[in-house]
Amino acid sequence: MKAVWSWLLELCDLPHAPTVEEGARALTAGGLEVEGVTDLGAGFTGVVVAEVVATRPHPGSQKLTLVDVVTARGGSATQVVCGAPNVPAPGRKVLWAPPGATLPGGMTLSTRAVKGVDSPGMLCSETELAIGDDDRGIIVLDADDATAPGAPAQQALGVADWVLEVAAPANRGDCLGHLGLARELCALLGGRLVPPAPGPDLEALAADLDAAALAAVTIDDPVGCPRYVARVIDGLVVGPSPRRFAQRLRAVGVRPISNLVDVTNYVLFELGQPLHAFDWHQLRGASIAVRRARAGERMTTLDGQERALVAADLLICDGEHPVALAGVMGGADSEVSATTTRVLLESASFEPRSIRRTARRLALPSEASQRFERGVDPELAPLAAARAAALLARLGGGKVARGHVDVYPRPPARPRVPLRLARARALIGAELHAGACEAALLRLGCEVEPDGAAGDGHWTVTPPSARADLTREVDLIEDILRIHGYGNVPATLPALHVGPAPLVDDRADRARRALAAAGLAEAITFGFQSRERALALGLPPGDRRAHPVAVRNPMSAEQAVMRTSLLPNLLAAVARNASFGLGDVALFEVGAVFLRQPGQPLEGEPATLCDEPLRAAAVLAGARPRWLGPPQPWDYFDVKGVLEHLARTLGVGELAYVAAADIPYLHPGVAARVRGADGRILGELGEVHPDVRARLGVEVPVFMFDLALGELAPAAPAQMRPVPRFPASARDVSLLVDAPVPSARVRDVIRAVAEPLVETVRLAEEYRDAVRLGAGKKSMLWSITYRAPDRTLTDVEVDQAHEAIVARLLAETPAERR
Amino acid sequence: MTTTSDLIAQLERLGGEFAQAIAPLADEQAIRAAQAQFLGKKGQVSEVMKALGRLPPADRPLVGQAANQVKDAIAQAVEARLAALAAARRQADLARTLDVTLPGRPVGGGHLHLLTQVRLELVDIFAELGFAVAEGPQVETDWHTFEALAIPKDHPARDMQDTFYIADELVLRTHTSPVQIRTMQAHPPPIRIVAPGVVYRRDDDATHSPMFSQIEGLVVDEGVRVSDLKGVLLHFVNRFFGGAGGAGGGGLDVRLRPSYFPFVEPGVEIDMSCAFCAGAGCRLCKGTGWIEIGGAGMVDPDVFGHVGIDAERYTGFAFGMGIERMAMLRHGVNDIKLYYEGDLRFLDQF
Repeated sequence: MKAVWSWLLELCDLPHAPTVEEGARALTAGGLEVEGVTDLGAGFTGVVVAEVVATRPHPGSQKLTLVDVVTARGGSATQVVCGAPNVPAPGRKVLWAPPGATLPGGMTLSTRAVKGVDSPGMLCSETELAIGDDDRGIIVLDADDATAPGAPAQQALGVADWVLEVAAPANRGDCLGHLGLARELCALLGGRLVPPAPGPDLEALAADLDAAALAAVTIDDPVGCPRYVARVIDGLVVGPSPRRFAQRLRAVGVRPISNLVDVTNYVLFELGQPLHAFDWHQLRGASIAVRRARAGERMTTLDGQERALVAADLLICDGEHPVALAGVMGGADSEVSATTTRVLLESASFEPRSIRRTARRLALPSEASQRFERGVDPELAPLAAARAAALLARLGGGKVARGHVDVYPRPPARPRVPLRLARARALIGAELHAGACEAALLRLGCEVEPDGAAGDGHWTVTPPSARADLTREVDLIEDILRIHGYGNVPATLPALHVGPAPLVDDRADRARRALAAAGLAEAITFGFQSRERALALGLPPGDRRAHPVAVRNPMSAEQAVMRTSLLPNLLAAVARNASFGLGDVALFEVGAVFLRQPGQPLEGEPATLCDEPLRAAAVLAGARPRWLGPPQPWDYFDVKGVLEHLARTLGVGELAYVAAADIPYLHPGVAARVRGADGRILGELGEVHPDVRARLGVEVPVFMFDLALGELAPAAPAQMRPVPRFPASARDVSLLVDAPVPSARVRDVIRAVAEPLVETVRLAEEYRDAVRLGAGKKSMLWSITYRAPDRTLTDVEVDQAHEAIVARLLAETPAERR
Repeated sequence: MTTTSDLIAQLERLGGEFAQAIAPLADEQAIRAAQAQFLGKKGQVSEVMKALGRLPPADRPLVGQAANQVKDAIAQAVEARLAALAAARRQADLARTLDVTLPGRPVGGGHLHLLTQVRLELVDIFAELGFAVAEGPQVETDWHTFEALAIPKDHPARDMQDTFYIADELVLRTHTSPVQIRTMQAHPPPIRIVAPGVVYRRDDDATHSPMFSQIEGLVVDEGVRVSDLKGVLLHFVNRFFGGAGGAGGGGLDVRLRPSYFPFVEPGVEIDMSCAFCAGAGCRLCKGTGWIEIGGAGMVDPDVFGHVGIDAERYTGFAFGMGIERMAMLRHGVNDIKLYYEGDLRFLDQF
């Protein structure tokens, strides 16, 4: 909320006048963050108030006037040329920018000939000083303006002032008005709050009318509307507000409209109490009823929109129809106009949630609804009504009907909150003195009584009605601390007590580190994506991943559904990098995907939390890190190598890779399922299907894996195996086998022999050559090492073991020896 | 009739022939073959020595002596030749040169995302103070995200966090604070956790991303105080920012400013003294000398009520900070979107 510094000071009685910087600092330290301070009069310098002492026509132009002005009574006059049509008669005051003065936009004035007559500077209009939008003539101060000639123009314009942009916390609705901020300023700087006192004005301006006879108020829904105060002002003449009054509204961001509308806005910003003015003559039956809307009811709000109402909407009605959406917006029918003479002024309090719902549903946030949503003190209503009535009568030349109508069926009891000094000390961790606590609460407007029965350091505290946020002991302790100052709290460390040891699952980070060590860069991508992207993998309807959970209110179609696989975003990143000319990409992501829980419907909104399994996925596109020579494109074995490295690092037992032509998003000939030792499917591996690439705009082959990281058993601590003390012996065997026989088959046969002397089995070479080997054949060179833990093996032992294995290979693979 | 002197002469001649024979040989195998040819059972020396039997016995030692000399000479010639060859090889090897300015063959090149690096560092710093890591789901219940944190429906504070909804009672968590609730539900005090994780809010500009990450801290125990919160934060800022931008040497200060979050009371905003200009005023602190780094406060008794912790016996504090903001401040990242686009031009910088 924007607050005007002079306005705040008017409401405070402070021991010394703070500078605006001091005030801003105090408010910020007190929790009302001042996000900015604007000097209203900073746009121009050197412009002064000048009194017109004589005028005469310009000899060379009918449109110009020569104006003699003085900046001190009885001082010597200066002749200024003025082109405005509204040059006032002698005696009135204008604003003169003499040579040397600067105007908004940076212009510096000098003496300049205008149609042959020298003009030292100029007389200024609102637009020239950028303080308003009236460009029809120069600014002429009100006849009764008391600013002395020679004073800075800022003073006369009410812009020798500052605007503070204050961020009031969501629970401090009371600080959405100058009064509430002034209360804080007084508490923080040690002063006394001075609320406006309209009483004397009201007596002086009383009309020979009785409010009760002109406004009969009934409340049907005292929960929705706890209090309704009405006043009637008669004999108004609608016109513009005085300059400095209007200036304050401009300063808080409201465009001045007329004295009538301006007063309601002025009081709203002054006290934080929204008001509504009805044209009394447009109200039927001289009565007001507050009730909920009826089914099918409609009304036209003052913005000209016809609104369909629902039963939860709270309405202000006259004798026949709705005339306002309570706390949100007035109705078109009863709106005040330039011809309004009698006004019914509403100063009410409404239940926050009701206002919030209606304002949200109709997308009608307003200065009023914003305040009602945060709660407006019901005790404020009579003061606001009186203040506005007095101002209206004063500015609009009217009279105020005697008395007010105040319907307040169930005034709430103010909370009496017990407070313990010991608790405050224990929670804050600072030495607090009883006297300081009491003083802080008194400064905040609380009533503080010692709780005699409970002994020293116990109080019963009654917060001011404006502070609906103070209901519990801890709320009071916070306010004591705000006044005491957080800077006075020491820094300590919490005592460390033994608690249950939390289970640490760092698989995700271990996987990240392993993949980074393998040469891949980590990506972190959004948890949501477009539906098209989510469905780009072409998964069959039976797959949970084909049924992403949708975001109900996405900001864009690109964030429509939750990801069910890490792959689409990674492929999109490949495409994105390619578009920047970065074709060589090795990326991984480790993170959650979002799946409907088993048993949940596959479409529509889920009724339960999602499964959020942890996955690790990687993509390789383009070539390996380049060195000299031609690029070396990534291939399947690179990504498989990365996966094997990952599995090794995580201490996962050996994984099995089974060719799988049925994974829809992988090339049918270059795809494998990854299985764990227990046979569970743990992931997929292979070359991305060209159709999927096409859907995601990827033009080059991509090799990927996607691993169910969360499914991997946490690794047990690695156990040492004895370091070999005796040498190993190696034997090779070259086999000629049918080309489709997978290498894993050969390995399995070797394993099945279960020869205890075998230490390692390695495929050293694999090649096909139709001429030398025959079509449909391939040659594999296997290298097997043998070792015994307790002796050096003899050649005979090794040969025996090796030949037994070869014999099994020839028989079972089947294979020929080469 | 071969005479003794003939034989000795022949042997000496063989010695000379051998030297000539191996002079052009450049590999060890050929030299050894030549050696065998001269000295082996059927070698030339043996051939000569066959005549020994026909010599008078008195002369035989002379010839034997000569034969031994020849054999020694041959062995020495072999060794010398091999040594010369080795020296030549070494010389040739040392004569090699390489353009050492050619680029190195790339190794590794992988790295963790900047946000992961920062998160791990944050977790490590809090681990020094005994904080363990806790996690929770990203699609959360409305209850864990709001209700249990004292933010009922229609509460104005829900405006502060514009929420993505999945269903009436399911949201994308707007903060990591539901992890507090899950932790307190699962464990009795004492509790001391940090909960890093991604969160979602309907907000999208240069400093806001609809997905971003936070780290949340929670301590619940008997006798936990505002002063403890301040001390923990002081430790954190000095460990994380202490070396940044020249201010260095620790000495960073923490300022708590009253603020409002429904689930803490008292609630504060956390400012640290600017680590980048030592308070002189710079772009990062907007000239104020202070940088806002997060929110914190003492756990609200209503929150304890929701999770069944006795608010009279236990007190606690919680704090939350944006990880992107930490990284932005320390590494000068000026657009939050860069974190999430998988753009190697950005990722590879860290």
